[in-house]
Amino acid sequence: MNLLQQVVNGVIIGHAYALVAVGWTMLLGAARLVNFGHGQMYMVGAFVAWWFMRLTGLPYPVAVVAAVLVGALIGAVMQRLLMRLTLSRDLVSLMIVTLGFGQMLEGAAGLTFGARPQTLTSPFQSMTLHFGAIWFTVQDVILVVATLVVFLALRLLLNATKFGVAVRMVAEDPVLTRLAGIDIARVYMGIFAFEGAAVAFAATLVAPRTPILTSMGFDQVVTTFVVVVLGGIGSVGGSYVAGLSLGLFTALFGALVSPAYTTAAVFALLIAVMALRPGQLAASANFAR
Amino acid sequence: MSAGRFLPLAGALALAVLGFFLPRLLGGSTLVYDTLVVIAIFSAMSYGLDIVLSDLGEISLAHTAFFATGAYAAAILTVSYGQSAWVAMAAAILASLALALALGLITLRTREFAFSLVTYAAAIVCMNVASNWDFLGGSDGIVGVPPLDLSIGPITLTAGQSFEFWPYAYALLLLTIYFVYRFRRSSLGQAALMVHMNPRLATMCGLDGNRVRLQVFLVSAPISALAGWLYAFQRSYVGTDLFDTYFLVLMLTSVIIAGRGLLLGPLMGTALLMSQKSFASLGAYGDKLVLGAILVAALCYSPRGLAALWPRMRRGPL
Repeated sequence: MNLLQQVVNGVIIGHAYALVAVGWTMLLGAARLVNFGHGQMYMVGAFVAWWFMRLTGLPYPVAVVAAVLVGALIGAVMQRLLMRLTLSRDLVSLMIVTLGFGQMLEGAAGLTFGARPQTLTSPFQSMTLHFGAIWFTVQDVILVVATLVVFLALRLLLNATKFGVAVRMVAEDPVLTRLAGIDIARVYMGIFAFEGAAVAFAATLVAPRTPILTSMGFDQVVTTFVVVVLGGIGSVGGSYVAGLSLGLFTALFGALVSPAYTTAAVFALLIAVMALRPGQLAASANFAR
Repeated sequence: MSAGRFLPLAGALALAVLGFFLPRLLGGSTLVYDTLVVIAIFSAMSYGLDIVLSDLGEISLAHTAFFATGAYAAAILTVSYGQSAWVAMAAAILASLALALALGLITLRTREFAFSLVTYAAAIVCMNVASNWDFLGGSDGIVGVPPLDLSIGPITLTAGQSFEFWPYAYALLLLTIYFVYRFRRSSLGQAALMVHMNPRLATMCGLDGNRVRLQVFLVSAPISALAGWLYAFQRSYVGTDLFDTYFLVLMLTSVIIAGRGLLLGPLMGTALLMSQKSFASLGAYGDKLVLGAILVAALCYSPRGLAALWPRMRRGPL
């Protein structure tokens, strides 16, 4: 077992974690919404891309765009449904609704796409690059670059545009934001659509690595929220660092200790962080940093 | 006993007796018995969550793990160790208490979504452990749980068929409802409400919020575990599907749909959902879609539950 190869794998998986988590981080930071449907949205993103390619025969990059559009649409629908609860900041009800939403997506996906495992085929998955003993695929390179681009663009958007300022205002105090004459329904719409689009984008880039199943959302959600929580809830920069660290941790733990218990180990890590720094779980002041 | 107290009691007793004969009144077919047994078991499971959700106001997503703990305890002790159902019952309670204690201590200082996130993660980790640990049957689960046998000395109490199962499931349900009723009138139940509704007042009254939370969590876990214990015998195998989000969403929907804090709420919710599944099923995926849609619709359009539509029926904290 080549240690360097594991580090490379860890970096790639870490970027995948961060990219999958970025939409949820935004949602949590700006709308205080814990989205338990996130994993199912990931699943739908991957399946829409697969379905699109199968139906139309168009190449993979076009399918990515289609999946992102559908993802944004799902996010927008969710925002319409949740508007009232979001405005009243009924966090408890919001959280349960997202569970129900995930259940709906899973049921609908099962009816539409069937129960069989499928493969989202990316032409870049079979192109491998070798450097001495280590290797990775072109798909991995695209994933890492795309993650960096998304995080940098988001940072720029939040800190240097008018819309970004509005998002940060909503995160601080939605009522006051409304008093300032900003249409907060539109801001929330943007945030939710971003969540949907981002997770679908992540799914199309990450899913070609493994077979896809309509039941895979459940597993996906756990690592994602560990990233979100470890990163300091709602902190964009923090979730990138957390995703990368978690990727390295799982790759090394899986290779050196036991692949079967990786999830349990990740959770132990979460407990350790919570026990040592419970302040991290408080609503964050670090949003957009 | 005054008439004011006697009447509700007589009514409750009459309802309880009537409930026992419900499967026969509905035709007594195997499907009816199966459905009602499952309703009774899942209602009992939901009551465990109900205490935490309605009285403490926190959303525990780990109650599927308590449910599964009960089921696994029943399966392991009867199949692997040949113990009686009574021993398995004690083990189910103890194991769920141990899990709840560990989880309660970990989550002691977390609130709201952090609490829910951690309990959810805990449930997933339990599933992960169950599907990898051979002692717990691994991904195949444990098959061949024997028929329920609760015989004491000369009294034979066994159940294999679904109609034989009904009295036990019904008894569990009644005991659970009675327990929840008593809980809401106990000092712990009152304390939980106060910690939920007005934490500052609770602190001023000398209540330790964290202590109350932990206690309520400990009280709720064995309820769901006992439901799981009985479910293992009813289904005769246990597997990692017990951790499925389906059970979680079912529990949450049952508690919420009729109205939080309503004594018979979880029972009515479960009855509604399971009847749809038994008598108007749309297939596994269709049922999932329906269940999710009901939960979303209930919370988005009538967050206080169906009972809020009849204001006089309402009782309880919300």
